[in-house]
Amino acid sequence: MCRPLVRCTLMVFSVSALVAFQATFRQFPGMEDDPVPVPPDAYEKTEWAFTRLMYPSGTHASVFGAVGSWPTDYPKADRQFVQGVRRLTRIHTRSSEQVVDLDGDEVFNWPWLYAVEVGHWGLTDAECAKMREYLLRGGFFMCDDFHGSGEWNVFIESIGRVFPDRPIVEIDNQDPIFHVLYDLSERVQVPGIQYWYTGRIWEKDGKTPHWRAIYDDSGRVMVAICFNQDNGDAWEWADHPRYPERYTSQAYRMGINYIIYAMTH
Amino acid sequence: MFEFLFKYPGAVFHKGQFVLLAPWPLWILGLGMLAAGGLLLWHVRRNRGLLSGVRPLVIWMLETAMVALLLFLLWHPAISIATLQPRQNVVAVVVDDSRSMAIREGSQTRSEQAAAVLDGKLLKALGQKFQVRLYRFGKDAERIQKSSQLSASAPASRIGDSLQQVLAESATLPLGAVVLLSDGADNSGGIDVDTISQIRRRQIPVHTIGFGREKVDKDLEIVDAVLPAHTLADSRLSALVTFRQFGYAGQKALVSVRDAGKVLASRMVQLKGDGAPQSEPLLFNAGLAGPKTLEISIDPLPGEQNRENNAIHRLIDVETRKPRILYMEGEPRWEFKFIRRAVEDDRSLQLASILRTTQNKIYVQGNSDPHELEEGFPAKPEELFAYDGLIIGSVETSYFTQTQQDLIREFANRRGGGVLFLGGRFALAEGGYLHSPLAELVPVRIPDSKGTFHRDFSSQQLTAQGRDSLICRLVEDPGRNAERWSKMPQLANYNDVGEAKPGAVTLMEVVPAGRHAMPLLVTENYGRGRTAVFGTSGSWRWRMWQDHTDITHATFWQQLLRYLVSESPGRVTGSTPRAVLSDETKVTLRAEVRDKAFEPVPNAVVEAHITGPDGTATSVEMTPLPAEQGVYTTEWDAQKPGSYVAEIVAGRGKEELGHSVVVFRREDGVAESFRTAQNRELLEKLAEQTGGRYYTAANAARLPEEISYSEAGITTRETKDLWDMPAVFLLALLLRGSEWLLRRRWGVV
Repeated sequence: MCRPLVRCTLMVFSVSALVAFQATFRQFPGMEDDPVPVPPDAYEKTEWAFTRLMYPSGTHASVFGAVGSWPTDYPKADRQFVQGVRRLTRIHTRSSEQVVDLDGDEVFNWPWLYAVEVGHWGLTDAECAKMREYLLRGGFFMCDDFHGSGEWNVFIESIGRVFPDRPIVEIDNQDPIFHVLYDLSERVQVPGIQYWYTGRIWEKDGKTPHWRAIYDDSGRVMVAICFNQDNGDAWEWADHPRYPERYTSQAYRMGINYIIYAMTH
Repeated sequence: MFEFLFKYPGAVFHKGQFVLLAPWPLWILGLGMLAAGGLLLWHVRRNRGLLSGVRPLVIWMLETAMVALLLFLLWHPAISIATLQPRQNVVAVVVDDSRSMAIREGSQTRSEQAAAVLDGKLLKALGQKFQVRLYRFGKDAERIQKSSQLSASAPASRIGDSLQQVLAESATLPLGAVVLLSDGADNSGGIDVDTISQIRRRQIPVHTIGFGREKVDKDLEIVDAVLPAHTLADSRLSALVTFRQFGYAGQKALVSVRDAGKVLASRMVQLKGDGAPQSEPLLFNAGLAGPKTLEISIDPLPGEQNRENNAIHRLIDVETRKPRILYMEGEPRWEFKFIRRAVEDDRSLQLASILRTTQNKIYVQGNSDPHELEEGFPAKPEELFAYDGLIIGSVETSYFTQTQQDLIREFANRRGGGVLFLGGRFALAEGGYLHSPLAELVPVRIPDSKGTFHRDFSSQQLTAQGRDSLICRLVEDPGRNAERWSKMPQLANYNDVGEAKPGAVTLMEVVPAGRHAMPLLVTENYGRGRTAVFGTSGSWRWRMWQDHTDITHATFWQQLLRYLVSESPGRVTGSTPRAVLSDETKVTLRAEVRDKAFEPVPNAVVEAHITGPDGTATSVEMTPLPAEQGVYTTEWDAQKPGSYVAEIVAGRGKEELGHSVVVFRREDGVAESFRTAQNRELLEKLAEQTGGRYYTAANAARLPEEISYSEAGITTRETKDLWDMPAVFLLALLLRGSEWLLRRRWGVV
């Protein structure tokens, strides 16, 4: 390729990076059996949207098939949770979720990110690098709905490549993330839908709930890890009479606290 | 030649009064001229013979002019002039003996040239007519007996003070004139009006003789450097350095700012035309807190004659205070988080914030104690005025009470704080600001419409003022800075904030796709403070869309917030009109004292604790200024050269009202090395305003003759005839000769 053409191509790419447009809502196929309609204001431009990470499940995808585990509870959990965010806070909130992946740069337009079933994810090295850059720039990542030592190890395998040098620690009760809007000093284990059938609030060997985090150099939570709990199901089934209200309430409060913390710290 | 033609020296005509000595009234002269003109017209018309066209008219004019001249001479024109009585008057000869007179001009120094003029003819010629008193002067005048006592070693020259001294010494003497020999390099900034008035009252002419080239051959000189007196630690500062050069046009020179020998900034500049002042900004970091003496210099170039004027010193107080900013935000949003993060990285700023998380709850961050801001936005002046700056985010005006809105206005107006209005969906026009007292504060004309907030990604661009502003300076070089801004990620949103108000400065514009550019960042001064609007809440994309090591976003916000608060006064504000005392000792300190509500305190006890260059400390009580409530002053003698730090402490009873630091410096003998070219303008002006004349060394020989004409001292009034001036005879000859030549040419003789 001749030099002027190379320059021209580079210029086009750099200009396109500068004048990028924020992606709008897009509906992906869900894997749940309780579909919800697309809200009429799904395309509204707002300050915050529930941003769900579309990740590859890699070698851990056997249970979920080709699509992988990322759309678990999708989209009902997302759309039901944001109704609470709209009603209970002053955050300008979109009624629909936003799905992003770590392959492009779109994630940088969404500084709050949620992923579910991270006990089945398998990020590539490039995605780990993108995730690290996203978090160091000021992004916030909440992960949820994974249980037991086996899934923890799968989670660690990817997140350990995102931050090989940063420890995962239990969040102290005094941390602002538990008090930024709701005081959540007393927390309970939030079970998934399996609670209907089994009566157990834990899954696999994950009997003890953990609220863990990876902190940045200034002591701010970058990665909030909801381990041995399933806030996603609590949001998804908040409208179901069989799902206990107290779990839903805590899941909403926890989620809202994590959002407001991400927008203040 | 002049004297040959007009019989007398120019000074006679310059100073004398024209009179007509004939006893007949002047109107008869006018009538006579008219009558002569009429008769000649009749005569020329009757006898024009072969003359045609304008020729008779020319002849008539020449003949009339001749008759008019003769009639004028019959009225006996003369000059009446006051002349000093020989041997009865005193003439003071005052010679500049400062170091600038030691500058060599060819084979002699200026001082040697002055001595040569004095010893050549001047003193002798003056001595034949007057009693001569010889003085030399630097800071003060001193009587000497002969020119050999001149040493050109005084560290300063103060022409005005020295002339006053000479006049005072000769108050009882018949002082007829003053002769000043100098290069005009006065260190006190000129001769004050009082001195000139005093000389004029006594009608004493000051004749000046100038020495030294009016343009030096090869020289670089720092003329001035403008810096703020106070700044915050780690602030980016701009020193506007003004310099000039002679003989190096087009060449390059290095301009630097140093602190204790350490180079803080330097820049290679291309030198412009000879003698033209050239200003260049130099950006540097103020560094750690404490008083600093900065050296601003331009490196010497080969062949430079005077290297003593290549550097000047400026003092700056890098303050230890950490200004506090209150940020009121009406809804959780990304801009809030990233502004907080930017400020957290700044050691010199403190940010307290109130965020409305829900309709009825607030979340407070950065409060120094749990009770601070627990009731929400302050409603009392002493609570709000404790902050130095205020940021108002996406908050409807209806959220504030009327009292709070008035307080916000007074925060800028009376307290002197900075107020920044951000964009957002509840901000500015969207939040009802147009119809509130806050509209006056906002530096733009808020549109009278809704729908002005747009969540569309948009580019931004610097304006011409923005390119020069420290707020928008991401990299030192202005060109690279503009380029850097052109590559910045887009903003997430913007407000149509309206046009900038008259007097406001637009630093940045937003350029939405398909729309024209509109103001984005606008600043203005308001009352004792300043206000700004940043019409977006989407600058967080500058953080999220650039590498995590990039500090652009933090740098911009730190600079914007430092602009907001760096000049917010404390409750005690100290100052001095002159931070550098050039060859003088008296310093004036001034303090403005206010209470917690920033009302002037008339009954405070104010003391200045001054630490000198050798570490000795002195306390001086400052007294209230009757004309200005809450203002206290004192005058103090700085005994030694060097830098001084004055800490001004104010109290009322047992209450400590506050303190402030003022830095100043006494420099001896430094100013003498500056402006070394002859200041002919000053010498000419002095002579002109006092009725004297300016001479050069070459024509100073004329002075003894011309000096005799003076209204001061013991004088006699002389009348000098003008009718017998050779010029009159030549004029008559010219008129008659012209007529004869013309008649001959036209063949009518």
